[in-house]
Amino acid sequence: MTKTTQKLSENLLDKFSMDFLRRQVLKNAYGNDDTVIAALDPRILLAWYLFFGLVPWFADSLPFLLSCFLLVMVTTVMARVAGLVLFIFALGVFSQTGYLLIVTLIFGGDASAVEPLLILTLKVATVSLASVTVFSGLDPDKLSNGLMWYGCPERLSFSISYAYRMLPMLMEEFQNVLLSYRLRGNPPARENFSGKVKYLCYQVKIVMQSFYPLMLNTAKRSRTTVEALEMRGYRYAAKNKSVRKIKLAALKVSWNDWIFLTAGVLVAALGALVSTLI
Amino acid sequence: MNAVEISGLSFTYPGAAQPTLRDISLSIEKGDFLAVVGNNGCGKSTLCKALNGLIPHFITGRFEGRVLIDGEDTLGLDVGSLARKVGYVYQDFENQIVRPTVLDDASYACLNYAMPDYLERGRAALERCGLAGREAEYVWQLSGGQTHLLALAGALSLEPEVLILDEPIAQLDPGHADRIYEVLKRLNEDCGKTIIVIEHHTEYIADYCRRVVLMRDGEIRWVKPTDEALQCVDELVECNIFPPQVTRAARALQERGVYTAGHLPTTVEQGREAFGDLVYTPAPARPLPARSQENAVEFAGVSLAYRSVKGEGHTVFDGLDLEIKRGERVALIGSNGAGKSTLMKLMVGLLRPQSGEVRLFGETIGERKAEDIARHISLVYQNPEQMFIKDSIRADIAYAMQVRDVPDWERRTGELLARFRLTELAGRDGRLMSGGQMRRASLAIGIALNPGILLLDEPTANLDIATRREIMDVLEDIKDIIQTAVIATHDMQLVCQWAERLIVLSGGKVVADGTRDEIFADAALAETVGIRPPEIFSMARVLKPDALCYTVGEFADCFGRGAKS
Repeated sequence: MTKTTQKLSENLLDKFSMDFLRRQVLKNAYGNDDTVIAALDPRILLAWYLFFGLVPWFADSLPFLLSCFLLVMVTTVMARVAGLVLFIFALGVFSQTGYLLIVTLIFGGDASAVEPLLILTLKVATVSLASVTVFSGLDPDKLSNGLMWYGCPERLSFSISYAYRMLPMLMEEFQNVLLSYRLRGNPPARENFSGKVKYLCYQVKIVMQSFYPLMLNTAKRSRTTVEALEMRGYRYAAKNKSVRKIKLAALKVSWNDWIFLTAGVLVAALGALVSTLI
Repeated sequence: MNAVEISGLSFTYPGAAQPTLRDISLSIEKGDFLAVVGNNGCGKSTLCKALNGLIPHFITGRFEGRVLIDGEDTLGLDVGSLARKVGYVYQDFENQIVRPTVLDDASYACLNYAMPDYLERGRAALERCGLAGREAEYVWQLSGGQTHLLALAGALSLEPEVLILDEPIAQLDPGHADRIYEVLKRLNEDCGKTIIVIEHHTEYIADYCRRVVLMRDGEIRWVKPTDEALQCVDELVECNIFPPQVTRAARALQERGVYTAGHLPTTVEQGREAFGDLVYTPAPARPLPARSQENAVEFAGVSLAYRSVKGEGHTVFDGLDLEIKRGERVALIGSNGAGKSTLMKLMVGLLRPQSGEVRLFGETIGERKAEDIARHISLVYQNPEQMFIKDSIRADIAYAMQVRDVPDWERRTGELLARFRLTELAGRDGRLMSGGQMRRASLAIGIALNPGILLLDEPTANLDIATRREIMDVLEDIKDIIQTAVIATHDMQLVCQWAERLIVLSGGKVVADGTRDEIFADAALAETVGIRPPEIFSMARVLKPDALCYTVGEFADCFGRGAKS
């Protein structure tokens, strides 16, 4: 029995390695390029997001929020969002409102607190899921092209796609540094409770100490990248208007986009209608 | 008109006391295939950066003289315009890739320079570099060799007249290296590109380049046609460049008075004629080292698969069985991606097998404590920078001993610093040292705990010959401390000089396992798994089909008895 639990915890630890994180980030950014959502035009998706990311904050009617929530749930499934992101989402939303509910009950509240809390949860959940849909459905390049069409400066959109390019590299370096610590370090034994606490403190210390080599190694690597960007005309493109035109020429709105947008409008309208009828 | 015309070029980096380039004058004709050679730190890369305008437009410093590209002064052009004339592929080419997919990256520069047909240009460049059909792949799915070709395609897409490559094959296995040079050859011959490579693999220079520039201390010693250049054996060796083994062998035979012709052969083909009438005397057999019966490392039915970003995982090992005895010197060889590094990570417990067991001195790795493992086995990474976790070499070497309260750790650190000739650099950050110093430091860190087993991943990659030789000496020197050593490498000269047992990996399987005679004598095996014996071995085989010579010295001994009468 103890062996199974030990194995299980080891398994969990293994899963939550840097390698796993790296894969999840990559998967979220680029792994979903064959879904229906990913095929949509980024401008349409951003417009859609503007609605479902903002309006729920200002609406209080339960039927409307519920219909919006159901819709974004469907789109989240369609976007095939990475497991880790969903997990963080669930943890974030339900720890927040669940904690509020418990506090309310402890300090003399009753079941009537459930409804306003449900509304709050629905708001937060709808907005989060809408964001998750858009950002994992859109790969960073599409996202930056969409933003550019709406007039965001080229530098911002490049930064987004470049950050996504850098992120796996940073994590790879981080992983390497941590491996060095694991190979040469001497972690405290974690047999009993105090050992476990010590072990946790040790891990936190190592992560903090990793910062220095991580930054230096990354800086050393990015020197080449900066020179290469210069040669490959990055600064030149930022000044040239026609580059922007060429980039945006690739954007096209298809039937799917209209269907997607119409479905969104219909569901929201239906929700609003029901809430006026009640 | 010449493609490149340099006159009186001097350059000093800001803050440096000495100029890195001194009064350089050089003209390079259109369509030339030029190799730049010289020891580490002689200014080769700086010279090349002066050609594409990064110096002085991006990297400032004291710049004197004139550089003309295609008749235009680089001072009058910006980096962007120069990029369309001169393409550059870095030594650390993977950092040159900035876009996620292959086609995106290949066409990125064209898009930035507002060329409406940027995608076609990118596709054409990929086609020429042999990457057609991979347009939609993500860059992290490519192997090292393919990534290099992609960096080349990215530079090529702008149709520059001149292409510069900094140590293009340093990290590649011979199969990939050949592919890169074949692509360069086609670009040179069919498309008339001028190609400049910084290279210290003289075998490749002999096969592909037309002219050689020798640099020393920021100056150009001479520019000569390849064949003539490689004749200057003594001068090249003095600058830490080793001419092809065939040439060195001829020189050795010349010194013994056996080889009398004035011209030294530079390729196996030339060697066939030059050495044609020499008599072969087999060398006395190398005594087989006594083998211990105790297993140092043992793999029993080990299977391991990596998960990938998309789709199916990639299986590295499937039921691998392997034993490494105490006291063995093992070389792991095989092409890029055959599983060499993964095997090493399994041995130190950084990776866990999905099924099967890895045992260290008879005990399963999973059941040993991490601290315990580090005392028995140590891994020195391919990239020494990744070993530096402290802000000085002294602290890095001391770290593992310090956290374990090894008695006398201060004295031992001092000893290790002295042994690896690092005492004077002890306070420096490892990352800021030269390639050879970094290697030495990483070895010192690796043996700090006196591990019984030392694993080295590509210990000689990216090093010039002098530094490489130094590392070999160090390996010889620490024989008394390290009983068992395993090296993963593409460097067959190192393998032949150092290893007692060769394990050939291919597609995650051990396809051959034995002494160098057993492995290299099997020509069919070498062909199928993409390993290549040192040039001197092939040379001897051409002369005498069953000859076994692995080093220039052995060749000279075997063929040094004189000519057929």
